[in-house]
Amino acid sequence: MIKKSRKRIYSKFEIYAILFYATMIQLIPLVLVFTHIYDIESKLNIDKFLFWLTIVNFILTVIGTVYLLLNKDKLQRAVKANYMQEFYYLLILSVFSILGFVVFFDLLEGPRQYIAHILIFIVVGVGYILLFLGRKFFNFDYKKRK
Amino acid sequence: MNRKPISDETLNRIIKYLVIILLTFGVVLLAIQFDSFWNWILSAIRAVIVPISLAYLAALIIFPLIKLLEKKGVGPRGFSLGIVFVLTVGLIFSAFYFLTPLLVQEIRNFFIEDFQTIIDYINNDLRDEFILGADLYDQIFDYVNETNIISDTLDQMIPSLITGLSNVLLPLFTSVALLPILLIYYLNDYEVISETIRTIIPAKHEKNAAELGSRLNQTVGAYLRGQLILMFALGSVATIVYRLIGLKYYFVFGFLAGVTNIIPYFGMIIAAVPPIIYSFIASSGPGPLLVLMVNVVLQFFEGNIFQPLIMSHQLSIHPIVIIMSILFFGSLFGPLGVIFASPIAASIRVIYRFIIDVRKAKTKQNVIEATGS
Repeated sequence: MIKKSRKRIYSKFEIYAILFYATMIQLIPLVLVFTHIYDIESKLNIDKFLFWLTIVNFILTVIGTVYLLLNKDKLQRAVKANYMQEFYYLLILSVFSILGFVVFFDLLEGPRQYIAHILIFIVVGVGYILLFLGRKFFNFDYKKRK
Repeated sequence: MNRKPISDETLNRIIKYLVIILLTFGVVLLAIQFDSFWNWILSAIRAVIVPISLAYLAALIIFPLIKLLEKKGVGPRGFSLGIVFVLTVGLIFSAFYFLTPLLVQEIRNFFIEDFQTIIDYINNDLRDEFILGADLYDQIFDYVNETNIISDTLDQMIPSLITGLSNVLLPLFTSVALLPILLIYYLNDYEVISETIRTIIPAKHEKNAAELGSRLNQTVGAYLRGQLILMFALGSVATIVYRLIGLKYYFVFGFLAGVTNIIPYFGMIIAAVPPIIYSFIASSGPGPLLVLMVNVVLQFFEGNIFQPLIMSHQLSIHPIVIIMSILFFGSLFGPLGVIFASPIAASIRVIYRFIIDVRKAKTKQNVIEATGS
């Protein structure tokens, strides 16, 4: 019996869909982490700011989904051997969104003394998801890298 | 014991190398005698080399973007170059516009609010908290007062610092002013210039030189692009983390972490010292242990995740080699040597590997010719 050892290489459609939805899921913490440096959210009404941010996030998700579906055939025909650049993007995005989560937690007035405990779970969870996505979709195995 | 005699070929080779070494020493010795003449020549060469090198390095970062635009059908070259150029200038301008006020504000606040506290701490509290004991502190303090070591050192340092700065700043300003013009012409005729350089090289070595040039461009370009991304990512992460733990002057400390990251291994340590010292002295904000922990975690992520992922595989040099090259090129070329130690080391490795590859190919060719297959 021939052993099936060759990995499946995913098309740009799947990869772009992962990147797009990952960005959309993490968009609010991502925006918050940068506005926090400039103290923008403290100068605005935070409830309104979060409300409009969620609306913008929703609209962008709809536009992006439509765009992905319209270009589905074209993207499905495009394939790359590996998706290193795309994976770096996802990694950097995740780092900033983890930090953004802390800002979000503060804005929602969560108890600060528990943030370290929550962060450990989030970091482990995000790390596991990244390793899984890297291995399965991006043809990039961090554990096998020298 | 029957010793094998040295062959004529080996003897000839040894004599050849010895003559080359002796001649090199002779030339160096002769050159040293005309010190002022060489300084004059070298300063003229430096005036040309520095802006050209800067333009070359900037082109290595920008040119892939122009190629990408051209691949997408944005052309001709002038148009794609214009778009990239306007975007780059806009990015630099916005960075200055948004970051400078924050940095200036924090530095000003430091001098207004905390500088005096630090001076008071050194004068009063440091004696009681001195880790090696108050007696030793007194001895050091007395020695410093008696010998005027600080004022003497400053008297020696300041004139040389001013001379050094004027020597560095003037060519640097000239280079920065010339950079946009050089860059436009260089990027516009990138292929033509490369082709012209190729025609200078003798036909026998043209193929090898082109291959080596391409490999070097790839390595140095990958290093520069990776380093820029790393500096931005680490600077931003450090700023955000410092802000989250409530450290004052988080922007200056984060900016420092980003900028010093250009020096491998030592950069993060240099960047960690000021916030740790500040948190030790400051009455409010996070403790020094927390700041130290944050820096250790950042260092861990930078060294184990960002650096290996973002930097290309071509730049994966052993840490000992990098540290040695930093020390060597740092003492040779000063701060610029420290900054460019890693790409220089990577370039040397590329050249070394290239020579090995060429030799291997030559041997293979000889074997094929000898066997006739």
